Amino acid sequence: MSVVKKKKRVSKKNKKAWGKYSDIRDVEEFLEDQRLEERLGKFETKPDSELFVVDTAGDNDEVEDKKPISHKLQKRAKLKELPKCFEVLLPTSKVQDPNAKRNHVNPIGFKPTALSKLKQKKLEEKGVFEKKLQEAKKNRQLARDKKRKAKQVRQNFSKDLWGQDLPESKGIPETLVDEFISPEAQLHNVLPTQRLRPKPPLAKTVVTRAAVEAPHPGVSYNPSYQEHQELLQQVGQHEMKMMKREAHLNRVTTGMFRRVTQQEKENQWREEMSAGLPQPHNPANDSGSETDNEYKAVNPPVKNKKKDHKARRKQRERLEEKERLKREKIDKKKITDLYRLRKLQSTIQTREQKQAEERAKRLEKRAATEATALPALSAHKTPVKEPDFVDPKQLSGDLRNIQSTTNLLRDRFESLQRRGALAASKVMMKKKRKLKSYFKPGHKVTEKDIEKYVNRNVKKK
Amino acid sequence: MVSKKKKKYSSGEGAQFMTRKAALKKLQLSLKDFRRICILKGIYPREPRNRKRAQKGAGGIKTLYHTKDIKFLLHEPIIWKLRELKVYQQKIRRARAMREYKNMKKYLRDYPEINIDHIVKERYPTFVDALRDLDDCLTLCFLFSTFPSLKKVPRDQSMLCRRLTVEFMHAIIAAKALRRVFVSVKGYYYQVELEGQTITWIVPHHFSFQPQNKDEVDFKIMSTFVEFYTMMLGFVNYKLYHSLNLVYPPKLTAAFSADDKELIDEQAYVAERIAAMNLSLARVPGSNEAEELPEMDIFDTEDNDPQKMEEAKLEAEKVKKLKTMFKGLKFFINREVPREPLVFIIRCFGGEVSWDKDHFVGATFDETDESIAYQIVDRPSMDKQYLSRYYVQPQWVFDSVNARTLLPINKYLMGAVLPPHLSPFVDKTKDQVYMPPEERALNDPNFKPLNEESGSDIEEASDEDKEEEEQDSEEDGDAEAALAKQYQQEVEEDSDSDEDQDDGLDPEKKKLAKEKKKAMAVTAGVPHKEHPYQKEIEDKQAFRLREKLVRKKHRNLYKSMKAGQEKRKKEIWLLRKKRRLHDEKVKEEKKAEKRKQRMQALEAST
Repeated sequence: MSVVKKKKRVSKKNKKAWGKYSDIRDVEEFLEDQRLEERLGKFETKPDSELFVVDTAGDNDEVEDKKPISHKLQKRAKLKELPKCFEVLLPTSKVQDPNAKRNHVNPIGFKPTALSKLKQKKLEEKGVFEKKLQEAKKNRQLARDKKRKAKQVRQNFSKDLWGQDLPESKGIPETLVDEFISPEAQLHNVLPTQRLRPKPPLAKTVVTRAAVEAPHPGVSYNPSYQEHQELLQQVGQHEMKMMKREAHLNRVTTGMFRRVTQQEKENQWREEMSAGLPQPHNPANDSGSETDNEYKAVNPPVKNKKKDHKARRKQRERLEEKERLKREKIDKKKITDLYRLRKLQSTIQTREQKQAEERAKRLEKRAATEATALPALSAHKTPVKEPDFVDPKQLSGDLRNIQSTTNLLRDRFESLQRRGALAASKVMMKKKRKLKSYFKPGHKVTEKDIEKYVNRNVKKK
Repeated sequence: MVSKKKKKYSSGEGAQFMTRKAALKKLQLSLKDFRRICILKGIYPREPRNRKRAQKGAGGIKTLYHTKDIKFLLHEPIIWKLRELKVYQQKIRRARAMREYKNMKKYLRDYPEINIDHIVKERYPTFVDALRDLDDCLTLCFLFSTFPSLKKVPRDQSMLCRRLTVEFMHAIIAAKALRRVFVSVKGYYYQVELEGQTITWIVPHHFSFQPQNKDEVDFKIMSTFVEFYTMMLGFVNYKLYHSLNLVYPPKLTAAFSADDKELIDEQAYVAERIAAMNLSLARVPGSNEAEELPEMDIFDTEDNDPQKMEEAKLEAEKVKKLKTMFKGLKFFINREVPREPLVFIIRCFGGEVSWDKDHFVGATFDETDESIAYQIVDRPSMDKQYLSRYYVQPQWVFDSVNARTLLPINKYLMGAVLPPHLSPFVDKTKDQVYMPPEERALNDPNFKPLNEESGSDIEEASDEDKEEEEQDSEEDGDAEAALAKQYQQEVEEDSDSDEDQDDGLDPEKKKLAKEKKKAMAVTAGVPHKEHPYQKEIEDKQAFRLREKLVRKKHRNLYKSMKAGQEKRKKEIWLLRKKRRLHDEKVKEEKKAEKRKQRMQALEAST
C-alpha cells in the first residue's frame, strides 16, 4: 500500500493551503474551551457551591420513606416551577444577549378583556378609585406644566447664542465631534437642514436705508421758531406739489373731455345708432344734384396714360442735371472744408465736452434718484414718506398736553415697505358673508320649529 | 450633430428670479406660512434690473424672489414644522366646527411652539450684527408693549414685549449707555451706544394704545415681525446682562410674569412698569462693580491727524462726564410729569428717583426728604416749596443730557417760559453754517462771544479804563525788560571778576593758558528757534504735495469739495463781519446818544 509520505516542503500559498498543512488543533481546542466557558459561565468565577457537592449521605443509600403528599399540594408545589413547555424559551447558553435593549412585548393577558373592562367600570361607578383618579389627574397636570415650562424658550432665553451655546436644532451631531474628524468631513456628514448656512446677501435698500430716520428738528414738542417754520415750509411745499400733480391729472383726464348735457348725449347716441339707416325723405336735401341726371361715381377710374419718348428723355435729363449739381456742391464743400479744419475740430471738441458734462450730470441725477427711489416689489405702489406735520395750534410747549397726530405703527409698516422688506399691499377687508334665510314651507312647520324660532329671538334680546 | 437648443430664460436674469407663486409651489407651503417664514428668515422680495426678463416675458409687476433665497429657505427645518402644524390647525378647526370645545381647548393647549433661536444666530452671526439691527426691533417692541390683546396678535406677545423692553432698559441703565434724547410730537427718541454701535429707537408717548384703523396696517405681518424681534431682543438681553455681570432673568415686579392675571387695569400696568424700572438688579455674586474703562490708548494709525485725535479725546472725556452726570443727586417727580422717560434717563446717569407714594407704587423716598436736590414739576406754581431743592421743568433733564452737562437751571425754573428743545440729531457734517452768537450760546453753554461787553451801564467806564490798562501793561513790560537787563549785567560782571583773579600768574603761562582756553572755548549756543510761520509754510507745502497724490478719479470731486468749503467759509466770514460792523454801529450810536444826554443834562444843570 502506498504510504503517505510526509511532505517536507508544502505550499502554504493560500489560506486554504495553509490551513491544510499546519497544525492548529491547539488553537481550536482553546477556542472551543472558550466558547464552552462562554456558554456555561466561567469556571473560575463560579462559586464552590455550584461546582462541588458535600457528600453527606455516604455510600449507603437509605431510602427515606416520605409521606406521600396530596395531589392538591403536589399541584401547588408545581405552581412555582416553570412549566415544562416554556423551558424551551429559556436561554440555554450563558452568552449574553447581543441586543442590549429589546423591545418590550406585552405578555399575554395584558390587554384588558371585555369582562375586566366591565368590572373596572362598575368599580369606578361605585367610587372605589375616586381618590386615585383625582391624584392621577393632578399628577398629570403637574407633569404637563413642568414639561411645558421647560419647553418655553420664548420665556427664558437661557442661551448664550453668540458664545459657546449652539442652537438646539443646528450644529454638528455629537458623533461627529471629534478632533480627528476634519471640519470638511464634519460638514459633509451634517444633514442640510442642520447646517448653519450663511444667508444670501440682502437687497441694497434693506441694508443701507435707516430703520429709524433722524427726526426733523421741527417736530420737537417745543421747537425753536426757525426750525418749526422750516418744517412747515417743507410740508407746505410738499402739499403744493401734490396739489399741482392732482390738478395736472385732472386736466389730463377729466378735463380733456368736454361736458355734454343729457339731451345732447341722447341726441348723439341716436345719431350714432342710426348711422347707415335709410333716412326719411327730406325735400330740403335734394335740390342741386337733381339738375343734370348724369351718374357720377365717387371715385372715377384712373386712366393709364403713357409718357412718350420725349417726355421720358426730358425727365431723365432733369434727374441727371440735379445729380450733377449735387456732386459739384459736395466737391466744392470738400475743398472749403480743408480750410475750415481747425474750426471743425474745435466744434467737435466743444460738443464732446458738452456731451461728457451732460452724461456726468445724468449719471449723478440717476444715482440720486436711485438712492431714494421706492422699491417696486408688487403691483401696488409703495407709499411715499410724508413729512411730519405739527399743527402750530397743537403745540402746547409742555409735556402734559402733547397731542400726536402720527400713527407710529403705520409709520413702521410703511417704513418696512419703503426699505423693501415688505411688498406694498392693500389690506383686503373680509366681506361679511350674507346669510340667506329661508322659511320652511308652511305645511312642514311643526310646533317645535315655532318654539325654537321664538326662543331664538328671545335669546337674541 | 446640432447641439440642443437652449431654452429661453434658462440662464441669466430669467433664471435668477422666481415669482411668489412659483416659490410657494417649490416650498409646498401656503401663502400664510410662506409669509411667516420669509419674515422670520429675513428673506425679502427683490427688484430686478430688467423686469420683463426676470418675469420670463410676462407683463405687469409680480412679486419676485431670488431663486437663491428660495433655495436657502428650502433647507430650513422649520418648514417641516410648519407642515406638521397644519395637522393641528385642521384638528382645531374640526373641533370648533363640531363644537367639541373641550377637545379644541386641549389642542390649543398642546399646540407646539416653534423654536427659532437658530434663525437669530443664522441672521446675526455676531453679537454686533444683532446690535446693528436693533433699531427696528426696539421701536416695534416698545410699540407692541402698549397694545392690549388684539385679534391677530398672540395673547402673550404684548406681555413679552413689556418684559423684554423693561429688561433692555435696565441693561442700558446698568451700562450707562444712553447718549441722546429727543422729545418729539411722535414720541421719545432715544439713542444709546452699545459696543460701538449707536442704536436709535422711538417710544410712543404715555404708553397708551391708539386704536388702529383696520385697513391701514396688516397686524398679522407686524405681529410676525414682532415674534422674531422678541426672540432676538431676548437673546440680546441675555448677552448684555452677562457682559454687565447681572443675573438674567432679573427679578422684576409681579406684573411681568405670565401666570399672574390679577392686574387688569391699564394704569396699574404702567405704574408697575415704571416701578420695575426703579429697582436695582442683582449682580452675579463675586463680580465687582463695572470696572471703569481705562484711558483711551492712542495708536499710530495711518492718518494720525492730531486734530481728529484731539476731537476723539474730547468726545471721550465728555461721555465720561455724561455717565456720572446725576450721580448722587436725588430727584423727585411730581405726579403730573410723565415718569417713564424721566426715570429711565435719570437712572441712566446715576441719579436716584422717587415719586408720590400715595399715587403710584415703587416710590423709594418721600417728598419731605431734605436731601432731594431737584424736584421736577410741570405746573406754573406750587403751594408748598422746599428751600433745599430746585424746582425745574422736565425739559431741563432732556436738554442737560443733550448738552452733556448740568445746564444752569435759571431758564428751566418752575413757571418759566422754556427755551426751545433742540434736536440732538442734527447732521454734524453740515457745520459750515453761519450761526448768530445767540444761537451758538444756546447750543454750547461754554461759548463766550469774543468781544463780549459787560452791561451797557458800565460800558463807558470800561472804555475810559482801557487807556489806563494799556499804560499799565506797558509799564509792566518795561519792568520785566529792566529786570532781564539787570540780570545780564550781573552775569557779565561775574565773568569779568573771574578773569581778574588770575592776574598773579606769569605772562607765558598766561599766554599758553589763553591759547588752550581758546581751543577749549565754548561759544554761547543759539537756541534753536522754531518759526511758527516757517513751520506753517512747510506744513502747507506738504499738504499740497499730498493733495497731488489724490487719484485722478477723485480729483474733480476733491476740487469741488474744497471749493465748496472755501465758499462756505467765505460766506460765514462775510456774515460775521456784517454782524460785527452792525454791532459796532449800534454801539457807536448808543454812545453818541448817551453823550448827548449827558451834555443835555450838563446844560440843564448849568
